[in-house]
Amino acid sequence: MTNDKKLKLGLFDFTDCEGCQVELVGLKEKLLALSERVDIVNWRLGQAKAQWEQFDIALIEGTPLTPGEIDLLKIIREKSRLLVGLGTCATLGGIPAILDKEERQQWYNKIYGPEYEGRGVDALPLSAYVKIDFLIHGCPISGNEAARIFSDLINGKKLNYKDYSVCFECKLANLPCRLLEKKPCLGPIAQGACGAICLKGGSACYGCFGIKEGANVGALLTILNKFASEEEIENYFSMFHNKSKLYDHR
Amino acid sequence: MIIDEFIAKIEGHGALDIDWANKKARLRILEGERLFEGILVNRPAEEAPWITSRICGVCPIAHNLASVKAAEAALGIVPNKTTILLRKLMMASQIIQSHVLHAFFLASPDYLGIDSGIELAKKNPEIFKTAINLKGIGDEISLAVAGRSVLPTTTTIGGFHKIPAKKTLTELSGKLEKNLNYAIAAAKIFAKLNYPQYNIELEFISQTDKKNYPGYESEIIISSQKDDSAIEDYKNDIQEEVRLDSTAKFGRYHEKAIMVGALARLATHHDYLDPVCRKYLRATNFNNPFHNNLAQAIEILHFYKKAQEIVGILLREKLDPTVAVPSANPPLKGIGAVEAPRGGLYHEIHLNDKGKITFINIITPTVQNLPSMEKSAQAILDQSPKISLAEARKLIEMLIRAYDPCITCAVH
Repeated sequence: MTNDKKLKLGLFDFTDCEGCQVELVGLKEKLLALSERVDIVNWRLGQAKAQWEQFDIALIEGTPLTPGEIDLLKIIREKSRLLVGLGTCATLGGIPAILDKEERQQWYNKIYGPEYEGRGVDALPLSAYVKIDFLIHGCPISGNEAARIFSDLINGKKLNYKDYSVCFECKLANLPCRLLEKKPCLGPIAQGACGAICLKGGSACYGCFGIKEGANVGALLTILNKFASEEEIENYFSMFHNKSKLYDHR
Repeated sequence: MIIDEFIAKIEGHGALDIDWANKKARLRILEGERLFEGILVNRPAEEAPWITSRICGVCPIAHNLASVKAAEAALGIVPNKTTILLRKLMMASQIIQSHVLHAFFLASPDYLGIDSGIELAKKNPEIFKTAINLKGIGDEISLAVAGRSVLPTTTTIGGFHKIPAKKTLTELSGKLEKNLNYAIAAAKIFAKLNYPQYNIELEFISQTDKKNYPGYESEIIISSQKDDSAIEDYKNDIQEEVRLDSTAKFGRYHEKAIMVGALARLATHHDYLDPVCRKYLRATNFNNPFHNNLAQAIEILHFYKKAQEIVGILLREKLDPTVAVPSANPPLKGIGAVEAPRGGLYHEIHLNDKGKITFINIITPTVQNLPSMEKSAQAILDQSPKISLAEARKLIEMLIRAYDPCITCAVH
């Protein structure tokens, strides 16, 4: 049922694993409650119905890798009042951005053979092409944090990030500090709200929620350089930040 | 609009071309190439499961464990019994999560005459309730064992960074007991749906250890036409064709279009199903690819029972959190094969003596299913001389959804 007073929402996916949409479905009743407050006019993964007029809110998951996706991103931007990136592929380029543009051709040759013409141009964040109004980071996003942001979005509130790093959440969870154990970790500079979920499972933090505003990247690098090789540090930073602005700071 | 050519309600981006004058159907896969087999080269082995799980948000556990198994084979690592049990539990939750998402939220609307999974809430509330309860259970098992409902955080080569506490397993056991009725309801619901009736000759293949219903342990590939082969030869037995207009390859088994996934496992291994599933087998027609969705619902029930059984064993036994280490002089080349929700998945990893990846090859289930999808689409066109183009398109899109393709996996 279409209600003119409801905000028109489009949910789009470019090249990615679609895991952030799976996180959204995992919200179950909460997603249903949120979906009832908007009119989902376009969602390829969820429904066949697809309108292409104006969107009050466009959520985009994935990296615009192919020329078709880059064109479509520009079209969606023109049609949308608010454009929000969903997940690290959209916000930072994500895992696909580990490969640099100039490396792609050799892999097309090796994986597909010399006659194949690759479609992918370069895995970059949405912001490489258009203005983005807000970024919901995460690989994958945290369902609960996304629900909080959606709720603010629907209510027309100013959107913001939590004012703490992953390091803070890790300490709250009483986990042993990886840096003290001489294991690399980007927790001190990583934007929080994930609940330090990777660290709780025993994995590292690669900062998939983005680098917290005002974070002291230099200080962390000084610590990392004391026990980790340059290559190891590079691996940590390239996991999600190969194409993000942070990379330039280093 | 460009995007409208994409088939709705499937994982990833693909288009269906119907040449109506000649009555031919063809698939074109349009997902961007992320080039995972390039991304991983020169990175440390321990990053493989972390990175490959991000090939697919719908079956991340399958990729995670396929990489773990490949790296363990390369490093001569033999994981302990607790590790194996926990991985089998992860696979059970993976099948439940993926099948519930696909069969209920993406496919069932086709058979119920509605557009989306969200509409189930108002129009078919009992089905919706079943779906969200089962999704919740699948997610909870993953959270407890893999550390997160979507992408694993606890797994590592050789074992687990962290294993669940007995208290967590006790709680899980209680929840599984309390919600079993929903798993039974899933099989009942899908046994009663109205599927398009087609009879199409299908050849099925599945990985197997010949002792259990397929899942985590795989030793050979068996075929419904007694055309078996060894997993070590997977690259020769499953040949991938590159098409210049498609970003996914098309895989054939011994040059034949074969079907993999729930219906294939059911066809080749129904004797290994949990007894409670058997009565739903009668409703299954192994010549009708639309029944893949029924097979998925039967597997939801089977793997639900399996999860209960494994949690029971874990609660009775002493858990061993040890992470197994590499052997002396390991082969440095390994294959990790698992039956993912959509069928046989293969990861092959080669390492150098510093533990860095020098080569990785991945063959996904959907790549193997693409030629069969085209073959079945063709059969529908051939068997339905009176339908209109619009009807044919609708029916074939339904067929493609019934196969549960994961295009993001297929391209990777």
